[in-house]
Amino acid sequence: MIAIQRSRIDVASVVDGVRRDDAGAVVVFLGSVRADAGVRALDYEVYVPMAEKSFAALVEGARSKFEVLEMSIVHRVGRVPVGEDSVVIACSAAHRGAAFAACSWAMDEVKRIVPIWKTESPAMARRAPSRRNRRA
Amino acid sequence: MAMQVRIRLFATYREIAGEGALPWTLPDGARLRQLVDALVGTYPRLAAHADTMLLAVNLNYASPDVVLQDGDEVAVMPPVSGGRM
Repeated sequence: MIAIQRSRIDVASVVDGVRRDDAGAVVVFLGSVRADAGVRALDYEVYVPMAEKSFAALVEGARSKFEVLEMSIVHRVGRVPVGEDSVVIACSAAHRGAAFAACSWAMDEVKRIVPIWKTESPAMARRAPSRRNRRA
Repeated sequence: MAMQVRIRLFATYREIAGEGALPWTLPDGARLRQLVDALVGTYPRLAAHADTMLLAVNLNYASPDVVLQDGDEVAVMPPVSGGRM
């Protein structure tokens, strides 16, 4: 399963998508938006067709390098609030070593080669801010 | 003879150009490097990013030496977002 979506990621369905009777291990990585100072959300911009192609290549790479049985990669596009997941990678293998290694490798590759950019969305004031306390 | 390609720009580059997609006309046989040079000529604020641009043709990363074809989609992209391990 490969998806790039605006809506919240249903982690359970991503995990279920990689389950198999011959898989003794399922590893899932959740990349979540962290509450750095002044950040309420991250905005993700994605070159969708190239990102989809890159994800498909990563899934094939995981199968050939790590003896992975199944891998799913789901990424958000648009605004993702603090605490929500921007990326979910799930991976199944006969044994846990391959599943851990493949999941870690795939996430590193997502950060390295997949055309996705994030920008910080500054904290919004609860009421209309004066010029003085408005964040740059 | 001239050919037309479609340029896609993302993130800060899109903001600099004010457009995410631009039609672009080039002489036949032009290489990707010529397109980048022309783009930077039109949007001089891109010059500061010239050394770190990622380039792709038809969804594959490409070297500046690649010869473009009529109808190609060329992406000119900032470094992808990275993040600490």
